[in-house]
Amino acid sequence: MMNRTKNPLVSIGVLLLTLFGGVFLLAGQVSAQTTTSSFSSFPRFNPPPCDFSDNFYTENGFSVLNLDTAGAGRFGNFRQFGPPAFLPGQPNWVNDTTCTNNDPGRTRNVRILATTGAYKDDDGAPTQFFSLIAFLLNENFFSGGANATPNARGYTTEQIVAQFEAYGGLSQRVNGVLAPNPCGSMADPTIAATPCFPVTSVATPHLRQDWRISSNRNAIDGSSGDPTTPFGYFCDDLTGSWIITYSWFTAFSVGGFSNTGARINPTPTCQNLLAIASKQNGVNVDGTPILVTGDEQNFLEGDGTSSAFGLGPSSQPPPTAPCLAEGQEDIGGADGGAVWLICPTILDPRSGAIAPDAFLDVVRRFTFNGIQPIDPRFAQNFQCLKQTGQYAVNGVCQNPPPPTL
Amino acid sequence: MARIQELDRRTFIRAAAGAAACGPSLLLSRRAHAQKRKALRIAKWAHFLPEFDQWFSGELAEEWGKQHDTDVVIDHVPVERIDALAAAEAANRGGHDLIMFPWPPAVYQRHAIDHGEVYQTVAFKFGNLNRFAHRSTFDPKSKKYFAFCDSWMPAPFQFFEDYWAEVNMPLGPVNYYSLRSGGQRIRAKRGIPCGLAMASTLESNITLHTLLFAFRSRVLDEEGNVSIYNGRTVEALKYAKALHEDAGSLEQLAWGSSGNVKAMLSRKTSCTTNAISLIRTAEKQEPQVAKQIMLQTPLVGSAGVRAVAHVTNCSLVWNFAQNQEGAKQFLADMISQSRAIYEKSKGCNFPIFQKTVPDLIVRLSKDSEADPAWKYQTLKDALYWSRHVGYPGYTTPAAMDVFNSFVIPRMFLSAVKGEHSPGDAALAAQAQIKQIVEKWKQV
Repeated sequence: MMNRTKNPLVSIGVLLLTLFGGVFLLAGQVSAQTTTSSFSSFPRFNPPPCDFSDNFYTENGFSVLNLDTAGAGRFGNFRQFGPPAFLPGQPNWVNDTTCTNNDPGRTRNVRILATTGAYKDDDGAPTQFFSLIAFLLNENFFSGGANATPNARGYTTEQIVAQFEAYGGLSQRVNGVLAPNPCGSMADPTIAATPCFPVTSVATPHLRQDWRISSNRNAIDGSSGDPTTPFGYFCDDLTGSWIITYSWFTAFSVGGFSNTGARINPTPTCQNLLAIASKQNGVNVDGTPILVTGDEQNFLEGDGTSSAFGLGPSSQPPPTAPCLAEGQEDIGGADGGAVWLICPTILDPRSGAIAPDAFLDVVRRFTFNGIQPIDPRFAQNFQCLKQTGQYAVNGVCQNPPPPTL
Repeated sequence: MARIQELDRRTFIRAAAGAAACGPSLLLSRRAHAQKRKALRIAKWAHFLPEFDQWFSGELAEEWGKQHDTDVVIDHVPVERIDALAAAEAANRGGHDLIMFPWPPAVYQRHAIDHGEVYQTVAFKFGNLNRFAHRSTFDPKSKKYFAFCDSWMPAPFQFFEDYWAEVNMPLGPVNYYSLRSGGQRIRAKRGIPCGLAMASTLESNITLHTLLFAFRSRVLDEEGNVSIYNGRTVEALKYAKALHEDAGSLEQLAWGSSGNVKAMLSRKTSCTTNAISLIRTAEKQEPQVAKQIMLQTPLVGSAGVRAVAHVTNCSLVWNFAQNQEGAKQFLADMISQSRAIYEKSKGCNFPIFQKTVPDLIVRLSKDSEADPAWKYQTLKDALYWSRHVGYPGYTTPAAMDVFNSFVIPRMFLSAVKGEHSPGDAALAAQAQIKQIVEKWKQV
């Protein structure tokens, strides 16, 4: 894995270099969020993502009535401007008749420009891109309720989506301090109820780091990584939806109070592990480490078997003082935030799937060089995919492959 | 012909003691009789559906006895006593020829024949056993099969649709976090608790092993090393404590065998984890209750969807059995009756050899007694999400000893009751399991 920003001082150093023209990898590309046709001369056979048609949603067990509410924020109906777009006047989606030409029957003529970056869960590669089309707030977003008709394999949509986890990292900063507990049903009852960080929105400005998505993509070809998993993301989960697993640093990492008012100080173990993780992966907007793999998550939760950051299971935090915790929101909607996302991952973002007018939606922070992604590798990959149809290699765009007969 | 015997507690104790004290004389008289007809004595765990046992003894075994000129005697033993019976027979090296357990009898592998021969016989006709049965009955050290697994029961999550719809979860809670928050609201609204079994019973053993696995923990690792004391176990214990405080009841901590089933049948709990015998009983006794009970795959935890099978139907032929050949033949022939076993158990007993019920998925999709008819479709991929006792390793004697001595339910109970902190409860369980593992290393 590439090293990224190691600590704030290093960050400042890099930024100064950047400011004075020292380093300009992909000059003008990372920061420029609109491109011209000069970069588009490569074979384009993967169409860019579009919203699904109402009929397709219905056929796949979703309630269009609920999707078309403001809370769901479905692209094509809501959120044309504003977050996740971060530039004034930047649309998140446009009406485009090529959608139904490219994929008749499945799509409607709403092409998604906001392209969200995510880490691949098993190796941490910043190579995944998805379109966060809508937020599902409770079970009523699945049509039919308890009478929902299972598909041919015997599963309802909700059961299928439950197999695919997108790890969301909300910012834990509340009134200047890091809250060790989420508000709502995921809260650890042994920890003081306040301060708690809100879980009502996973819009990008509320995230501390970029998404991480599980890689159980295709059970049939074995790429799910688990021979006992009967589901494949691209073959069972046809709208590409995910259940959100929220992840947060515990009081043993960031300090806090127990429910009896006793102070909980960060443990030396967690402090040490967080420092090691920050050195390897860089820090997020909260100043805590970026986590990019499932193993890192499991390691910091103290599962007893995982290795991460070059350390074996014996270096994990003790079982009674894990550094990290996770949870999922109340599917009845009691927490008020998104339980699931309709956010289809782009199967192959190369060769045209990243359109010239698409923009990258990632977690950013203010720097001396303006607002910058906290992980520049997403921007490198995104810009190269847009310009050449290929991923960046060592931060550099590759020439498009020669045309073949 | 086959005889049915229902063993009550006294009869059971007498039988076990009698096998020890009077064994020789019984054997003599049996031998004299055997000059005419052979005998096959079977002890079978009492099925959750009594009508299944009536059919098993009265038809299946009787017919087999006629064909093989054998008197088949079947003693039906309550689930909670089958292990004590087996222990007594193993100690006395006498009793039944064959014992049918609802779990893998790994602790008796020293007293068992190698059942590989039975599997081989069956394989000619019905193919190889699946991974689940292999992991449940194979001893990798001796390379022998200590038991023969013919069927199993998945343990889906079951809930009252009307209760959960009131808290905006008409499809059920789906994951453990929503179980807690939704269960809390149901209890607050209706006074109905959430009914996960926690006292020391088969149901709690299944439920709590499932919870542990879903939280990405384990009792032993793949090599058999003790690994219960980890952050995920502590998290699972904290969760169980919070679940009980927010959505549980005092009664559930004292439920006896099938206490969760009784609570569900009387609608005194909003959900539970169990074999589908629960709904089958409701369909027969309380159709209106059955209609409200829905199934879903096991609750999603941080490890995804995983559940320990409620029953792993394993038969063991003693290496001191009088009629080993007859017992082996009975087991092999029983597989050709798998379809009938599935039907007579009302779909509770899933076949290990899937060729025997090739239309299983169609049957689950259109069940004549279920309302709606597709209710059981959820079980289509049960083999994928079900795990054997001892997962991720094999079902070893140590793993089964931990299971049979209820270390996991006792660990949960001590944390839930507040007798120990979650960390201390996990640590205490670790110490107990280490002792058990060490004991089996000496054997």
